[in-house]
Amino acid sequence: MIDIDVSTDRGIAVVVPHGRLNMVAARQLRETLNGVIEGGTNRVVVDLAETTFLDSSGLGALISGLKSARQAGGDLRIARPTPAVLSVFELTNIDKVLRPRADVESAFDV
Amino acid sequence: MQDERQGTPSTHPGSTASGHDGGDGQDEPGRHDEPGDVALQRAVDGVSDVVGSGSEQLDRITRVARKLFRVTATSITLFDRDRAWLPSAQGTDLRTLPRAQTFCDTTQALGDLLVVHDARDDERFADLDIVRDGGIVFYAGHPLTDHLGNVVGTLCLFDDAPRDLDEEGRADLADLAAWAQHELVSSTEMGQAREVQASLLPAEPVSHGPWRAAGTCLPALAVGGDFFDHGVGSGVLHLGVGDVMGKGTSAALLGAGARAAIRSTHAAVTAGADLGVTATQVARSLTPDLERAGAFLTVFEAAVDLDDGYTRWVDAGSGLAAVVHPDGSWTTLTGQDRPFGVFPDDHWSEHTTTVGPGDRLVVISDGVLDLLDAPETPWPELAAIVRAEETPDDLLDAVRRLARERTPLDDVTVLAVFRQAEEG
Repeated sequence: MIDIDVSTDRGIAVVVPHGRLNMVAARQLRETLNGVIEGGTNRVVVDLAETTFLDSSGLGALISGLKSARQAGGDLRIARPTPAVLSVFELTNIDKVLRPRADVESAFDV
Repeated sequence: MQDERQGTPSTHPGSTASGHDGGDGQDEPGRHDEPGDVALQRAVDGVSDVVGSGSEQLDRITRVARKLFRVTATSITLFDRDRAWLPSAQGTDLRTLPRAQTFCDTTQALGDLLVVHDARDDERFADLDIVRDGGIVFYAGHPLTDHLGNVVGTLCLFDDAPRDLDEEGRADLADLAAWAQHELVSSTEMGQAREVQASLLPAEPVSHGPWRAAGTCLPALAVGGDFFDHGVGSGVLHLGVGDVMGKGTSAALLGAGARAAIRSTHAAVTAGADLGVTATQVARSLTPDLERAGAFLTVFEAAVDLDDGYTRWVDAGSGLAAVVHPDGSWTTLTGQDRPFGVFPDDHWSEHTTTVGPGDRLVVISDGVLDLLDAPETPWPELAAIVRAEETPDDLLDAVRRLARERTPLDDVTVLAVFRQAEEG
């Protein structure tokens, strides 16, 4: 289990996973994101500044969150990935759909 | 069928141990005089193949048993033709002994709990070596059965003084036996799953003129989400490496489906069909399954013309393929397309390159990155490893050595195609 902080400000949920997003933690993140979206918040920023590791399961959780958010009429964005985590997005060409944002506050500006 | 197998143990009293000798070299049930005999031996083989020489799960059970019953020794005993072997034992160094020299042989024949208060007074056991010379006096053994009910082994208690086992003790022993049985059966099932999955990979490397191709797939758990495939048709080598998100059984099930879907395009691809089109078709067929499972799949596929090295390829988010040149430089084959299962209406495009004389095409899964010193910039290190080896098989051996040294957390797959430099 890892710590995942969730806060909501002006209709945008900010989700901060701390530590390693591996297979076990990915399940947890997936449930957290589902909970947020089903709870009525369809705009979500996942702040990856505190995420030290992200494997394909973690990527899967983000993509499933992205799909749920879009189905609910909103979107999911990622912010502040570390270089190591960014390389996982680039390797799989997921950075085109989950374009990393420089900060959490402006993630929904464009 | 099941009833017949269940009945087998009771038809073999202990004295038939030597009767197995004649069947030793025969593994084919159809050729054997006693099908039940073979079925039982195969059940035992199934368990012993996967339990191997030691198991922490089984050790936990024999340790608990020894503490609970306060006995000199405990063991889990399995039968292997005329031998009994102890994959787990506490309080004794014995690991194998002749089957005829065991209490457990009788327990297996009975198919029921056997308690021997004082073996010295029991003519069935007084002459066993472990009683006469080994100081064993008390024995209690509970049979362990596989999922078909074959008795494949026993959970045993031994003591150097006469004892009894009261009702509560008998119930405790039965509980521990059920636990041991569960460990044996689940490890057997996973072992069988692993074998089945390994059997889905190409059995033979490719050898065609100056071309050699071979791959390996090392699952992190018993089974994994990686797979590779290769085949030659119409002078074209069609190859692919896939990696289902995650690892373990669920990834393996999705991987098996994906491999079959890609293989179904083999004839079209080797006949010249556009890889972008076939990949898109495969993705369309897999996307519902992947979406339901909340998973995605990265794939790299290539079709290499074995006449001239002209190579078509498609990259679905794998990003981990390159042609390593004779001078040690490399060209990565990385597209812009996403993995299968991310968005239902994605498309994939074919790209082209040439694998020239002396070039080596290498495709890996991301588990290989765990084996490298600098996983974020893998190609300098990978290219050096690839150039250092003479053949694809040597390269795979080098990867297996790395995997043994570094214990990767993810499935590790490598597929290599070497084209020899031209003569003279």
